[in-house]
Amino acid sequence: MKHHFLDQHSNLHSPIHVLDPRVKIIALFSFLFFIIFTPITQAPKFAFYGALVFSIILISRVPLKFILKRSSVIVPFVLLVAVGLPFLGGGDAAGSYNIGIFRITHSALLIFLNVLVKSWLCVLAMIVLTTTTPFPKLLNGFQRLKLPKIFIMILSFMYRFIFIAIDEFGRMRRARDARAPSLGRIQHVKIVGCMIGTLFAKSYERGERVYTAMRSRGFNGEIKLTHELEFKRSDIFFFSSFFSLLILILVVV
Amino acid sequence: MHIPDGFLSVAVWASLWVVAMLILVVAVWRTNKKLGDRHVPLLGVLAAFIFAAQMLNVPVAGGTSGHMLGGVLIAVFVGPLAGSIVMGSIFGVQAIFFQDGGITTMGANIINMGLIGTILGYFIYQSVKKVVKGDRGMIIGAGVAAWIAVVLASAACAFELAASGTSPLGIALPAMVGIHVIIGIIEAAITIAVISFVLKTRADLLKLPKI
Repeated sequence: MKHHFLDQHSNLHSPIHVLDPRVKIIALFSFLFFIIFTPITQAPKFAFYGALVFSIILISRVPLKFILKRSSVIVPFVLLVAVGLPFLGGGDAAGSYNIGIFRITHSALLIFLNVLVKSWLCVLAMIVLTTTTPFPKLLNGFQRLKLPKIFIMILSFMYRFIFIAIDEFGRMRRARDARAPSLGRIQHVKIVGCMIGTLFAKSYERGERVYTAMRSRGFNGEIKLTHELEFKRSDIFFFSSFFSLLILILVVV
Repeated sequence: MHIPDGFLSVAVWASLWVVAMLILVVAVWRTNKKLGDRHVPLLGVLAAFIFAAQMLNVPVAGGTSGHMLGGVLIAVFVGPLAGSIVMGSIFGVQAIFFQDGGITTMGANIINMGLIGTILGYFIYQSVKKVVKGDRGMIIGAGVAAWIAVVLASAACAFELAASGTSPLGIALPAMVGIHVIIGIIEAAITIAVISFVLKTRADLLKLPKI
């Protein structure tokens, strides 16, 4: 079966895709912190941050529509904050806006802009990271950046078995739909429960089997990598230009 | 309920990161001691299992659908600490790879949707099991714990937003808790369905060593 939920665009070819995962992780995570720690009142800075992230998206050749659609995950939270705005009192009444019977103060509006702009830019940055880097490479990058080994190992196992688990669910779902095409809500929940229970039993047994198989082949709790990461000239170029731009935005704008 | 970046103030997200990491470090240490090199494949496969289970949507109302969190479920099977590692890994992956929740807010999300279920939920499950004996206690306990965990998670989320000054408590709390009182029923229903199915078919899996 084909799985499109992971690594959908991360195998394209572009100058961003070929960069070392470590470079991308450090660059985009620092970008995130620059955004989070910049006060919202410095609006021009955010325009430049936006320009920076969109130019990387353009270079990466990942369809813009896909990225924008994916960035909509922040919408429910933006709505929640928007609903609370008229009740976020305080601040000066001078710069306030009246919408119907509601009065939105200037400071409440700033809070709204703050979460909207920052969360959107951050989510764009993370989408760039994952749509330009395949999952195993990203994990490799995190491992070389000294993320705790136990999590790297659990995650690499998880990555391998997610596809099997989803295939198994797919088969069960097809069997269910073939035998019982229309179910009431309670029955639906019941069947989903049985499916999850079956999958748990299968997963647990598989975990044991995999462990004994690995043990008999000399596994001692450590995963060895067959290929090493190396910095190329393009990595150094991207890294230095990205950070000079960030610092330029910080200092000049 | 996955809080994106930018919605929490630095003081809030930084302290929640520290708390989440401390709990996870203890969990890793204890699990390592009990299972040795055996725990890595097992926890990895179980993380894949919860991940896949979260992709199964159940219709809620009016075209919307929800999926289960699974924190209580995994804790009932393998214990609160091993369950915490599984849930921590899942929310890490969801934040980094699927943008479900932010990076700075990852600690908050792990606590809300993961650790509240695996640790507090497990505690509730155990308490109910002491009062109601037998298989029924198991099923009722898991259901009650699952419902409370979801409602508490939404309340924690509202408190974090309010403490960050992004949404007043008077709005965020009723909105979040109101929705999740219903979503929690689905979480409880699925958890009950899974446990009663496993009790009927593979009761031995509920007697695994708990960590």
